[in-house]
Amino acid sequence: MAGYIIKRLVSAIPVLLGISIIVFLIMAMIPGDPATAILGSYATPENVEKLNRDLGLDKPLVHRYFIWLGNMLQGDFGRSFSLNRAVIHEVMERFNATLILAGTSFVICSVLGVAAGTVSAARQYGLADKAITFSVLLGISIPSFFLGMMMILVFAVNLRWLPVSGMWPIYGARDLSSLISHLTLPALVLSVVATGVIARLSRSAMLEVLRQDFIRTARAKGVHERSVIWRHALRAAMVSIIPVLGIQAGFVLSGAVYIEIVFQWPGVGRMLVDAILKRDILLVQGGVVFVAACYVMFNIAVDVAQSLLDPRIKT
Amino acid sequence: MNFLHLLARNRLALAGLIVMLLIVLLALITPLLPLADPDVTNTAERFKRPFEDNAMLGTDHLGRDLLSRLLWGGRLSLAVGFASALIAAVIGATIGIVAGFYGGRTDNVIMRGVDMLMAFPYILLALAIVAALGPGLINALIAVAAVNIPFFARNIRGVTVSIAHREFVDAARLSGMSDARIILTEVLPNVIPVIVIAMSTTVGWMILETAGLSFLGLGSQPPQADLGSMLGEARSALITNPHTSIVPGAMILVIVMAINLLGDGVRDALDPRLRSGALSRPMPNTLVRRKDPVPETKIDALLELNGLKTQFHSNGRIHKAVGGVDLCVEAGECVGIIGESGSGKSVTALSVMGLVASPPGVITAGAVHFAGQELLGAPYETLRRLRGDRVAYIFQDPQATLHPLYTVGRQLVEAIRAHHPTSRANAHERAVELLRSVRIPNAEMRIDSYPHEMSGGMRQRVGIAMALANDPDLIIADEPTTALDVTVQAQILSLLSDLQRERGLAIIFITHDFGVVAQLCNRVAVMYAGRIVEEGPTDAILNSPAHPYTARLMACVPELGRGRRELAAIPGLPPVLDMLPQGCAFADRCHRVQDACRTGNISLSAIDDERAVRCIFPETPAMDKAQ
Repeated sequence: MAGYIIKRLVSAIPVLLGISIIVFLIMAMIPGDPATAILGSYATPENVEKLNRDLGLDKPLVHRYFIWLGNMLQGDFGRSFSLNRAVIHEVMERFNATLILAGTSFVICSVLGVAAGTVSAARQYGLADKAITFSVLLGISIPSFFLGMMMILVFAVNLRWLPVSGMWPIYGARDLSSLISHLTLPALVLSVVATGVIARLSRSAMLEVLRQDFIRTARAKGVHERSVIWRHALRAAMVSIIPVLGIQAGFVLSGAVYIEIVFQWPGVGRMLVDAILKRDILLVQGGVVFVAACYVMFNIAVDVAQSLLDPRIKT
Repeated sequence: MNFLHLLARNRLALAGLIVMLLIVLLALITPLLPLADPDVTNTAERFKRPFEDNAMLGTDHLGRDLLSRLLWGGRLSLAVGFASALIAAVIGATIGIVAGFYGGRTDNVIMRGVDMLMAFPYILLALAIVAALGPGLINALIAVAAVNIPFFARNIRGVTVSIAHREFVDAARLSGMSDARIILTEVLPNVIPVIVIAMSTTVGWMILETAGLSFLGLGSQPPQADLGSMLGEARSALITNPHTSIVPGAMILVIVMAINLLGDGVRDALDPRLRSGALSRPMPNTLVRRKDPVPETKIDALLELNGLKTQFHSNGRIHKAVGGVDLCVEAGECVGIIGESGSGKSVTALSVMGLVASPPGVITAGAVHFAGQELLGAPYETLRRLRGDRVAYIFQDPQATLHPLYTVGRQLVEAIRAHHPTSRANAHERAVELLRSVRIPNAEMRIDSYPHEMSGGMRQRVGIAMALANDPDLIIADEPTTALDVTVQAQILSLLSDLQRERGLAIIFITHDFGVVAQLCNRVAVMYAGRIVEEGPTDAILNSPAHPYTARLMACVPELGRGRRELAAIPGLPPVLDMLPQGCAFADRCHRVQDACRTGNISLSAIDDERAVRCIFPETPAMDKAQ
C-alpha cells in the first residue's frame, strides 16, 4: 500500500508541473508591462524596476518560468501589493476557511447524493424516485449564488434561525457552536449542485449494478433486500461513484467562490475575486497554483481510497 | 424523425423544449417590444414593487425598469451561454478529432495537455483566465469556453478513436482521399451526435457559469447587464427589496432548468441503451400477474410446478419464455431439465423462487407449490425465508455470480446468517467446514480469498458450498458445469452426486448435456420452445426417446467408442418466442411432420406409467433401432 501511495505521488509530479506551466502561461498573456500589472498603476518607478529585476523580466520566458518555479518550491509565492503581505501567508490563512466550508459541503453532498441516488435506483419509477429525480433537476439548475441569497432571506432575515453571513460572530466567543451556526447555510447551499450530480450518477451506477448476476445470487441466498441494496449493490456501485466524488470535490472547492461572496466567508475564493478586481496578479497566481495543487493531492487520496475499496486494483 | 418522435414522447423534455422556444422567441423579439430603455436611470422611481404604477416587474436600485432589463439581460445571457458552448464544442471537437484520428504521438501530447487542464478545479481556471484578460463579458465568455474545451476534447476523441479504424475510413484512405476530406466526410458525420449530446448537457452549465462570473463582477460591466450582473447588483438590496434579486434569479433558474430538461431528453433519445429501456433494475420478486384461476396442487410432492407461464414484456412485444410447464420433484430425487439455449429451462428454474428479472419478466399463469405452500404471489418475506434456506440455487459462471468485492468467506457467512442468527465466529467455522465439504484444499486460508483470486472450478465449489450452507431440501443447479473444463466438470458432478446421496437432497439439474443427465439424474424433462416435450426416467428416455426432438438432440451428442457414427445437427432454428406457431413448435424442423402437427394444442400425454410425450406421432423403439 505504501508503495502504491508513493507511486501515485510520483505520478503527480508531471501534473503539478503542468499546472504551474498553464498558470504561468495564462499570466504571461497579460498585456502591457507586467510589473505595472503586478504592482498596480500607482507603483513608484523604483518599485517597478526592483520587481523587474526580482522577476527577471528582462530574461526569456522559459528562464522566467524556472525562476518562478524555484521561488515557489522554496515557499516564496511573492508579495501581494494590495495587502502588502506575503502571498503564501494570505493564501494559507484563507485556504483554511475555504477548507472548512468546502470540506463540510463535500461530506454533505457525498452522503446525501449517494443515499438519494441509491434510494432512487432501488425504487425506480416509484414516487421516491420521481421526487428525487425532480429535486436533483431543480438542484443542478438553480444558480448557487441565487439560492444562497434566498436562503439568507428566508432563514437568516425572516426566520432569524441562523446568522446572515461571516464565519465568526463580530462580538462573542469563537467556539465550535458559533462556527456551526455560521457554517450551516453556506455549506448546505454549496453542496446542492454536487449533491444533484452525485445523486444522478449514483442512481445510474446502482441501476447498472442491480442488473448484475451477483445481485441475483444475493437474493437467491435469502439476503434481505435492504442488505442487497445497501451492502451488495452499493458497495459495487461505489467503485464507479468514487471517481465522481473526486471530480465533484473540485466543483465544490472552486464553486465555493460564489458562496464565499454571498455569505462573506473569508475564504480563498473571495480573496481571488478581490485580487482579480484589484489586478493583484501575484496573489491570483499564488492562490490558483496552491488550490490546484491541493486538489491534485486530494485526487491521489481518492485513488488510494478506491484501491482500498476494490481488491482487484493492483496496489 | 424517430429522434423527434422519441423526444416528443418524453413529456418533461417536451415541456423544456416549449419553455426554451418561448424564451428564445422572447429574446429574439425583445428589440421590437415597447419596453422602457433598460439603461435609463431615474433614482426618483427606484425600488418600485412589481405592478406598481406601470412597471410590471418594478424597478431596480437606480430606478431602471426591471422587465426591460430582464428581457435584455436574458437575451445577453442566452447569447453568451450559447456562444461559449459553441466555441467550446468547435475547438474541443477539433482537438478531439485530431487527437483521435492521428493517434500515436499527436494523441499523446494533446491528451496530456487536456488532462492537465482537467486537473484544475473547474471555476478556478476560469478565474485565472479572467484575471489575465481582465474583467469583461467577452473575457468571461472566453474563460468559460476555455475551461469546457477539455470536456469536449476528451469525449470526442473517444468516439473518433473508435471510428478511425473502421472499414469505411480505411476504404476512404485506400481510395486516396486526403486526411482533411476523410475527417469532414467520414468522421465528422459520425461524431456529430456525440457533440450534440455533449452540448445539450453543458449549455445549461455554461449559462450558469457566465452568469456566475458576471455575478462576481468579472463578466458584463455596467451599464450593460446580463442576468448574473443584475443579480450581483441587486445583492446589496437583498433584504430591503428582494424582488430585484428574485426576478433575475428566477429567470436564470427557468432557463437552465428548461435547457436541462431538454438536454436530458436529447440524451435519452440518442442513447441506444436508454432508448431500449435496458436500464431498469430487477425487483426483489418476479412480478406475478395471473388472470386465470390458480391451479390447485394435486399431489404431495416436494416441489410441483403447475401450468407455469413466464413471459418477458418489453417494447410492446411479448416473449413467451415458458409456455405452461408442469413438473414435479420428490424429496431426494434428482430431476434433469435438458434443452437448447433459449428453450426456457433457466427461466423455469428461476421462476420457482421469483428470481426472474422483472421488469421485463412476468409470471402470467400457473402455480408453484413447495412442500404444499403456494409460492407464486407469496409475500416477499415468505420467499426470502425459503430462498437459500430450503431452496438453494447454484448458478452458471461463478465469476459473475459471486460478489467481486467481498471475500468468499464473508459471502458464505452471510448466507448462513441470513437464516440462522449465530455469531460471526460460529458462522465462520461453519463456512470453513462447508469449503472442506466441497473439497477445497486449505479451506482455512482460501476462505479469505476474493473470487478473482480463485480458479473457475474453485469458484464453482464455493457456489455449491454456498447453496449447501443451510442444508436445503432442494437445490436448483442452473448449468453449474457449463463454464468448466471436462475434468473439473466431472469432479463437480461426482461431488454433487455424493452430496445428494449423503444429505438426501432433491436436485433440479439444468443442462444441455445428455452425458451429465445420464450420470446424475433419476428423471429427465426435455424442454423445447418453453414447454416440456418429453418426460420420464432417465434410462428409459436415453434408451428409446419418444419425441423426435429428443431423438435428434441425442444424435447430436458424440459418444466415446462409437467414432464411426455421423453427428447430426438439427436443421433449422427454434421458433421465435414472440410468434409461436400453432400446433407443435418443432414441426418445422421435424422429419416426421404431418399436417395434423400444425393445428390445435398438442398435449403432453402419457405413453406408459412413467413417461409422457408431447407428440402425435412419437418415435417407437422399433423405428429407433431401424434408424
